[in-house]
Amino acid sequence: MRKILILFLCICITYIQVNAQEQTVTGKVTDATGAPLNGAVIKIAASKATALTTNDGSFSLKVPAASRYLIVSFVGLEEMTVAITGKPLVIALKNSSNDLNEVVVVGYGTKLKKDVTGSVVSVGAKEIGNTPATSFESAIQGRAAGVAVSQQNGKLGQGINIKIRGTSSVTAGNEPLYVVDGIPLTTDNLSSNGAASNALADINMNDIENIQILKDASSTAIYGASASNGVVLITTKKGRAGTSKIDFNYFTGLQKPTGMREFMNAQQYVDYFKQAGAGAANQDFLAGFYPSLASALAAYDTRIATRLTRYSAGNTDWQTAKVNTDWQEQSFQRAPLSQYDLNFSGGTEKTKFYISGQYLDQTGIIVRNRFKRYSARFNVDHQMKDWLTIGINLSFAKTNNFRVSNDNAFSTPLQIVALSPITPLIDPRTNLASGALDLATGNPNTNYPVYYNPLLSVLDASYTTSVNRTFGTTYGKVTFSKDLYFRTEFGIDQLNQVEESYSGKLTARNSGVPNGSGAYRTTQVLNLTTNNYFNYKKTFAVKHDVDVLLGTSYTSRQFDFSSATGEQFPSDSYQKLVNAASKTGASSSSTSSTLLSYFSRIGYKYNDRYLLNLTGRIDGSSRFGSNHKYGTFFGVSAAWIVTDEAFLNNVKWLKTLKIKAGYAGTGNDRIGDFSARGLYSGNAAYGLQAGQHPTQLANPNLKWEITYGSDIGIEAALFNNRVTIEVDYYEKNTSDLLLNKEIPGTSGFSIQTQNVGKLKNSGIEVSLNTVNVRNKNFSWTSNFNFSANKNRITFLNGQVLGGGVNKAKEGEPLGVFYAREFAGADPANGNALYYKNSPKADGSLDRTTTNDYNAATDVKIGDPNPKFIYGFGNTMSYKGLDLDILLQGVAGNDIYNGGGQYMSASGSNGYDNQTTDQLAAWKKPGDITNVPEARLFYSNGTDPSSRFISKGSYLRVKAVTLGYNLSSAILRKLKIERFRVYVRAQNLFTITKYKGWDPEVNADYQASNINQGVDFYSAPQLKTIVFGINIGL
Amino acid sequence: MKNIFFKILIGVGIVTVISCNKSLDTKPTQSIDQTVALNTSSDVLVALTGAYADLGTATFYGGYPFIASELLANSGELNWSGTFQQFTQINNKTIPVDNSFVANTWLSGYTTINDVNNVLSALAVVEPGKVDRVEGEAKFIRATVLFDLVRLYAKSWNDGDPASNDGVPIVLTPTLSITADNQVTRSKVADVYAQILKDLTDAEAKLPVKNGFFASKVTAASLAARVYLQKADYANAANAANRAISMAPAGGFSLKTAYADAFPNNVSANTTEDIFAMQVTPSSGNNSFQTFFSANSRGDIQINNAHTALYESGDARLGLFYNSGGSRYTGKFDYLYGNVHIIRLAEMYLVRAEANFRAGTSVGDSPMNDVNVIRTRAKLPPLTIAQVILAAILKERKLELAFEGAALHDIKRTQGAVAAFPWNSPKLVYPIPAREIRANPNLTQNAGY
Repeated sequence: MRKILILFLCICITYIQVNAQEQTVTGKVTDATGAPLNGAVIKIAASKATALTTNDGSFSLKVPAASRYLIVSFVGLEEMTVAITGKPLVIALKNSSNDLNEVVVVGYGTKLKKDVTGSVVSVGAKEIGNTPATSFESAIQGRAAGVAVSQQNGKLGQGINIKIRGTSSVTAGNEPLYVVDGIPLTTDNLSSNGAASNALADINMNDIENIQILKDASSTAIYGASASNGVVLITTKKGRAGTSKIDFNYFTGLQKPTGMREFMNAQQYVDYFKQAGAGAANQDFLAGFYPSLASALAAYDTRIATRLTRYSAGNTDWQTAKVNTDWQEQSFQRAPLSQYDLNFSGGTEKTKFYISGQYLDQTGIIVRNRFKRYSARFNVDHQMKDWLTIGINLSFAKTNNFRVSNDNAFSTPLQIVALSPITPLIDPRTNLASGALDLATGNPNTNYPVYYNPLLSVLDASYTTSVNRTFGTTYGKVTFSKDLYFRTEFGIDQLNQVEESYSGKLTARNSGVPNGSGAYRTTQVLNLTTNNYFNYKKTFAVKHDVDVLLGTSYTSRQFDFSSATGEQFPSDSYQKLVNAASKTGASSSSTSSTLLSYFSRIGYKYNDRYLLNLTGRIDGSSRFGSNHKYGTFFGVSAAWIVTDEAFLNNVKWLKTLKIKAGYAGTGNDRIGDFSARGLYSGNAAYGLQAGQHPTQLANPNLKWEITYGSDIGIEAALFNNRVTIEVDYYEKNTSDLLLNKEIPGTSGFSIQTQNVGKLKNSGIEVSLNTVNVRNKNFSWTSNFNFSANKNRITFLNGQVLGGGVNKAKEGEPLGVFYAREFAGADPANGNALYYKNSPKADGSLDRTTTNDYNAATDVKIGDPNPKFIYGFGNTMSYKGLDLDILLQGVAGNDIYNGGGQYMSASGSNGYDNQTTDQLAAWKKPGDITNVPEARLFYSNGTDPSSRFISKGSYLRVKAVTLGYNLSSAILRKLKIERFRVYVRAQNLFTITKYKGWDPEVNADYQASNINQGVDFYSAPQLKTIVFGINIGL
Repeated sequence: MKNIFFKILIGVGIVTVISCNKSLDTKPTQSIDQTVALNTSSDVLVALTGAYADLGTATFYGGYPFIASELLANSGELNWSGTFQQFTQINNKTIPVDNSFVANTWLSGYTTINDVNNVLSALAVVEPGKVDRVEGEAKFIRATVLFDLVRLYAKSWNDGDPASNDGVPIVLTPTLSITADNQVTRSKVADVYAQILKDLTDAEAKLPVKNGFFASKVTAASLAARVYLQKADYANAANAANRAISMAPAGGFSLKTAYADAFPNNVSANTTEDIFAMQVTPSSGNNSFQTFFSANSRGDIQINNAHTALYESGDARLGLFYNSGGSRYTGKFDYLYGNVHIIRLAEMYLVRAEANFRAGTSVGDSPMNDVNVIRTRAKLPPLTIAQVILAAILKERKLELAFEGAALHDIKRTQGAVAAFPWNSPKLVYPIPAREIRANPNLTQNAGY
């Protein structure tokens, strides 16, 4: 680290400027309001000459006589290139994030933000860069209206869900389409441990210049059958003409869990299970198993003492609570992370380049969890001829993810909380980790501790996912005239993944294999895309602007999988399958799909104020049935820039007002590659003879799910652009939802995938940007965004989908929680009570209670979908200091604790340690409590019910950055352009009523479109604090 | 410039057109398209094997319909203590229309019928030397599935007029797509029986007498005997049973010397007595009898004294019962990978005995001799001619075939009762599964549901 820094300083200092003839340029720099800017940087392309403005915004700079342009920049404002005229210059820098003249990427081309007629939200390098997180989605969270980002848990490199304006599918893919530099990315979950991995974690977020999120249907329609869930367009960085920059970024810090749960200590545990034994004894007596209560109590006393002795490593330490192990603590580890970035960028008018390298080493908060990424990128553009520009964007990444088991595995670290606090970490009988050795058998224990000790997996198991990923685009752009160009792009996304796992002897109780088991799995993905399009842009008769796009695109995706498993290893020193005595399995498989598209977009603008956009796309997909090989998608949108009208000329406070509306049909093609085909499978062996049988019925009518979306919105800039507002209202009606529709069983099949369901999303989005203060030394800007989405399934053919408490049901939002409604403990006897909720003759529900679970009916007990989400960002700078604070929140959602039946079960479902709230259990007649009587193994209230539902709203201090920029005087002395030190915190503080680890949760093993908002021993999110530096040369 | 423009344009056009339709035709690899699945003789043979695999799923000949027959017929000889609500409901004779076992048995049955209909549709490509066997096996499978479906989901043959009672749908063609034609109606009970017997007649004619563990001429004749007995066509039942018994030696079938040996508890192989049994291996097949009857598995079904009290002392069949954890279990199904007995040769002696007795004939042998074959094997004294009355034959049958799935169907054809439920109670008939009626409104629901 230090060496690199010194090297750079040396290079910098020994740089010798040779100037032949010089001229002096003077001028003044102001912000958009005309206030002078102190410390704006004035540079000359391809020269080392720089100057900074003084207090009154003025500057004076000697530049080579041949120089023609100045580059003027100021933190937070848009960089400007200004021609040298010989006269003093007055330069007004624009506010970059609010500027309607900003260029936005819209899919197969760019547009001025002013000319955009749809709903597009943009997040730039400034917001994304150097976020201390594994993947860039974390950096978007809370920054964009209508974009809900949620991470399943705090395990590294795992599933993050992005929902753009709600979810539009019940069974097909629900994630947006990700396009990097024009090429769609592979985002499939390729994990085989039951918890999704995140293919976007292979992207170095510091390479990202900009993320444009196309939200409404008229914007996404250009992506036709892949567009229903929104489109995320990622543009990577490019060099700028006339610059030659070296940037070095480094941060290092520590991560901690955002929250903990409270579990009973040893004394509480012992007392509680004695109480649970007494409760069960009473029930046994009432059932007539014992002649007297006393005899039942005595029997339970003995039984529980035996168990507690067992869990206390065979001794009686439990009687004095001598051992008091905080197991929860053991599932976390010290979690440092560091990231190193070095990039070179620059270029001439003809050639621009950007070269970067990154190393991220992130240790997870969960024991054994670690993520490393090495990445490199090379972007270059070169103008070969007047009419030909070529370029390549190429990136390579290698990631190593040292993973832990999914949330539902006994071996997942957080399930450790089920172990008894009276169990010592180290078994005094063996001086080994508890559970590692049973002296009686010479093998790991099978009934001590209560469950398999996940720390044994930390000691003796591994699961490593290594990915080598190459993605890149080459392009050529042929300019026929100033109005017409042709662009051809060819892109690849190649992903080679190896998953290697080994579970050693110590894990026998969990793996069921005495002498080690191992697996080796490979996944190869090759995603090829070519885009070819013409763009024609011309202004006719001054007032008529026409912008026409016409092109084709072809994508092929090929997946190849293989796996091998083995058991019985000579010792834990041998972990490769070659050493396995028993090769237990081998498999290979593959799948593929292709997409062929034709698209066009016609933009028309009259008099710079009336805009009309027409989009059309034809998509042919190998996934679709033979009767619907090609789908056609249309979009239309229009906008009116009202402030350009004469009648508003005198309204000075209203700078810009745009009214826009759009309507389009888009598709969702994320269905199975071969769902439309009639298939036979060879998995019908009988009596050791091979057999085949029909397994799927052809559906030649199978096609994409279709979403018709409409959007109306306004964009306004007030008070000299100090306030900008965007408000959008949208409706999305999705039909032809893919559903496994019941068909007559007499056909030999029970279901057929058909397009039958319908659902609807509607919502409102508000985004407000303000410049609160901007003066010489202090500036303060804010961004507030708010989005409320309402999701409702309108037709599912009468079927109810979902195996757990989450259901997809007509008339309800997707994933709504359905279970019995818990009514607390019966004050008379401590029985768990449920509301019957059975419909009465008059249509109302029977609100009487019962302790017979089967006599109660499932009702809606909650909704995992938030009513609204919001973000509130504030950026302040005072002289060299800058402070950025982002608050992020979700409201109105519920969380179901799937682990509640074990951990918050009033000791009625086994010897799992209990959360402390269970201490409130019913004890004697008359007690009013929501915790039923503790009755060991009596399942008193442990079945799924609203007992385990909690409110999931939270408000989080998502990111806080405090930075200091070295003053320009020092920078000049050091001959460096930028030197910034900062401290940054991520997920610093969370306000929530949720009592679990963290309210941003969805148990990874079961997460799906339907299964949302369930906590199941899920690792909490990461609270991160890093110190970093940015050096620019 | 213009030149380049047009070259590129044409180039792009050509590439696009060429790649076009061909590129959209990707092929699956794990599975194959139905259009190429039955192209060769060997394709059809493996599809026939696949039909046996589907026949042997847990919810069909893995055992569910037979276990259901025992539970529906249970009036206290068995004790059901399982946690599977579906069997609890069946045992209690309170079956809701959405009982998933009821739905799944229907589905597995028709899946198997569709399998063999596919095989039968592709006989043209089967090698001439094998085509008869393939056709015979396929038709046997279709017949046996239809027979178990009509016995469970429709009124018994003798309950009213079989020509007007709804049976189950007869599907004789493979399903290649879903159209309105798939909204089939229920055929009449008599028509279903006619179809079963037509298939069995064909099967018996075409099958070889010896065919490994697959269906043979003996198997087809045996099933025919069962079917005729169920419809009280005693002459034909006696004839069919007699054909099965006469062909048995050539087919390699014979009674085991000891009753217990007919139920091996350590090998997955047919005994010589298994005229038809579903093959179970560690990698394929299911033995649901083992799952529910054996204390080695779930042990959900225990045997009560009410049953064991029926045996005469010294009956070797009593030796198969065992105690475990204070309950009594049958030892007939103790091996996890034991084959599922569908038709044992012993049954044919009992069919011939009963049918001859009722018809007053002695086709093959006298009822007395046939019953005594079974009694002698059970180490019981032979019956005298005076003792050979219908009740004695039926009792012998009940004990010999205990828990193997005949109970309900015997009660129905002999017009007995299950406790308070008379033999023709609608509660002893499965409902048509709710999902079937949702998916096909042309299906009528059974009385009582």
